[in-house]
Amino acid sequence: MTQSERGRKMFIESGKKEKFPMERHGMLLLNRIFHRFLLLCLLWWVLTEGYPGSWWFGLPGVTVTTAATLGLSSRFTWHWRPLGMIRFVPFFFLQSLHGGIDVAWRALHRQTPMNPALFDFPLRLPHGPARVFLANTVSLLPGTCSADLSEECLKVHVLDGSIAIHTRLQAVEEHVAALFGLSIPPAERFEEASPHE
Amino acid sequence: MMFEEWISSALVCAGAFFYLAGTLGMLRFPDIYTRLHAVTKADNLGLGLLAAGLMLRAESWPAMIKLALIWMLALVTSATACYLVANNALRAGLPPVLGRYRSGSRP
Repeated sequence: MTQSERGRKMFIESGKKEKFPMERHGMLLLNRIFHRFLLLCLLWWVLTEGYPGSWWFGLPGVTVTTAATLGLSSRFTWHWRPLGMIRFVPFFFLQSLHGGIDVAWRALHRQTPMNPALFDFPLRLPHGPARVFLANTVSLLPGTCSADLSEECLKVHVLDGSIAIHTRLQAVEEHVAALFGLSIPPAERFEEASPHE
Repeated sequence: MMFEEWISSALVCAGAFFYLAGTLGMLRFPDIYTRLHAVTKADNLGLGLLAAGLMLRAESWPAMIKLALIWMLALVTSATACYLVANNALRAGLPPVLGRYRSGSRP
């Protein structure tokens, strides 16, 4: 295929895309409805533990719920990347174990030793579900608890202010960014490297 | 008893232990913020272990997935409730206990 032929083919293809934008939009919407429907069917199957007679009630219920979720869906999209999930899940499990043991140790200790502090963590994640997800994750991780999510930063209450909270939270933030497929600016260390600006 | 049942029992007992520790923390920790830590962390792990233990005894796949879903739903609820309580306490001006703390050192 010569250069001009390839160019013409690309031109035709781009023309096709622009010619039927409504059709493409319609297909995407159908696709989304179908996915929601399947997901809700799976949920019904799980809730009824696979009892076949329940589908007489379940199928209409799933249909109505699919319609309702389409009406309620926000402008923010919520997509998890499979690779990010593979990395996030074991990380979350290990951290949960650590957090539970840490708190149990303090609670059972005769003197309940702790060193609480309030701490502002500057956010690198963009607005939207990723920030809310980060705030919730931080509350479940060892020694940290989200107290205020504002425009610029997340106020965090920590059980032990003497540990390196900043680097730890940055690692959590990077995990969340990977989970949502977002790119965030490099950590503060990078900013400190160029103070003359 | 079968091997699986032993593991399952051990997980359920460990889960109960973390619930107990969380409750103790809620009674013994000095302020609302530190008490929130006790409840969210210990209950997250406690319910997780409990669900894992019961999953080993589940009779079908949907029953197993259901237990995992219960845990995830509880995680979302507890994290959200934790944020709401901490946020409201902070905005209402409740001062947190800061700095080194030991229950024995209090008068």
